[in-house]
Amino acid sequence: MISVDHPIIELKGVGKKYLPDILALENIELQISKGEFVFLTGPSGSGKSTLLRMLYCAEEPTSGTVTVDGMDLSSLSISQVPQLRRKVGVIFQDFKLLYNKTVFENVALSLEVLGLKRSQLEKRVRQVIEGVGLGDKMHRKAVQLSGGEQQRVAIARAVVNRPPIILADEPTGNLDRKRTREVVALMNELNARGATIIFATHDDSLFEHSHRRLLLLEKGRLKGA
Amino acid sequence: MAFGIIFKRAVRDFRQNFVTHMMTTLVVGLTCLIFVFFSLFSFNLQQVVERFGRQLAVIVYLKKDVAQEAIPALYQRIAGLEGIESVKFVSSEEAFKRLEKFFKDEDEVLQGVDPLFLPPSFEIQINRAVYHIDRIKTIASQLSKWPEVEKVQYGRAWVDRLEAFSRVVRGAVAASAVILLLTAAFVVSNTIKLTVYARQEEIEIMRLVGGTSGFIQGPFLLAAFFQGTIGSSAAIILSFLAYRYILGMLDYTGLVRSLSLQFLPFGYTLLFVLASGLFCVAGTAVALRRFLRL
Repeated sequence: MISVDHPIIELKGVGKKYLPDILALENIELQISKGEFVFLTGPSGSGKSTLLRMLYCAEEPTSGTVTVDGMDLSSLSISQVPQLRRKVGVIFQDFKLLYNKTVFENVALSLEVLGLKRSQLEKRVRQVIEGVGLGDKMHRKAVQLSGGEQQRVAIARAVVNRPPIILADEPTGNLDRKRTREVVALMNELNARGATIIFATHDDSLFEHSHRRLLLLEKGRLKGA
Repeated sequence: MAFGIIFKRAVRDFRQNFVTHMMTTLVVGLTCLIFVFFSLFSFNLQQVVERFGRQLAVIVYLKKDVAQEAIPALYQRIAGLEGIESVKFVSSEEAFKRLEKFFKDEDEVLQGVDPLFLPPSFEIQINRAVYHIDRIKTIASQLSKWPEVEKVQYGRAWVDRLEAFSRVVRGAVAASAVILLLTAAFVVSNTIKLTVYARQEEIEIMRLVGGTSGFIQGPFLLAAFFQGTIGSSAAIILSFLAYRYILGMLDYTGLVRSLSLQFLPFGYTLLFVLASGLFCVAGTAVALRRFLRL
């Protein structure tokens, strides 16, 4: 395991078992420092999503401890979970959009939960939507967008509240080459602004020639951490 | 959490799911209407009982052998009892005079009768401020134990009968309240269940982007408050209009006029509207806790 100073994410001896005896993760030791950009890869079913889900309290480890931005997640009360989730922007593999709502409403949701003033909220939401190239479709319903556009709405929603940590679960899975490059460029830009990013993908081309750290998960075991 | 955002979300939700919300409001309104009807009946009955009771005097008949000199002391003792408005002594002679007045056309009835054959008595009026049937009963039973007292009368049979009836009505109101509250709770809970199921995805997303329990539950609770207050206000207005209409129809009958019926006091209706709103909020909070597993 690579040891880093002041890790923003730290997993110690983390394991996850599903009943009856499916081992999703086994003895994961991982440290990610603040501002780092890491790729998480591995075949389907290797435990990438499970690992990410643990980082925003959607999943509890069966063993070990998970610490995110100084918070030991096993000791978090239910009322503290929203505080954690506001620090972690998640781009979901299945987008998790509200399809009967507009692009604007979907993205604004992340700021509404913070209780931001309407004027501030509108300004920031517009900026981010324009940033992902959907400025002209701001008031379209999510259901009317293509898969790639929906993916970009999901990205906009994850980053609009400027979280220090971004977890991207196969964010380019539905995109063509051009859009994929745009998403990676957007992630690089967010990372350059200081966000810590875990980018889960099984698309080798994204990290083949990258200088970023690569985490490889195989059958629930982490290699190259 | 900014109340404004929760309010806007609640209004938006109310507009988007207008039919569901209106159906719930309608059921809450009908439930409240039944309760208001019972309350109105009970309230007026109580008023009649109290008015009737207030007009009752407690009459204390003294034993014939009570010395004249003991009367002032007895008067003071009675006047000193708690809750007594006024005391009047009626001597045997005065009682006889009243009887003569009563039989003025058939004065032969009283011919040869000893003018002192009637016992002397005290007529007591109970203080209206502390008036209660139980208070009359207490005073009467207290007085009847005095050695100088022969008998105490206060129209007990009537008071008891009216009181018993009033008790039955009060019981019916309480029972109806419980049944109606349970019905309302069931309806509200089911509406919330349906809404939660319909918006499962949205709720999950709100949680994932860091929405607190307050942010997620707020619009539901506010919508429940709207349903409760709108439903109960409609019930009050409707029953008031019905009350005025029925009263207008019956106004010419002396009996109705003598009962001097009243609508529920404004303070009570205000409290009822507020309580209905809060009850719907409480029902919704319980339902949300069950269905949202917050």
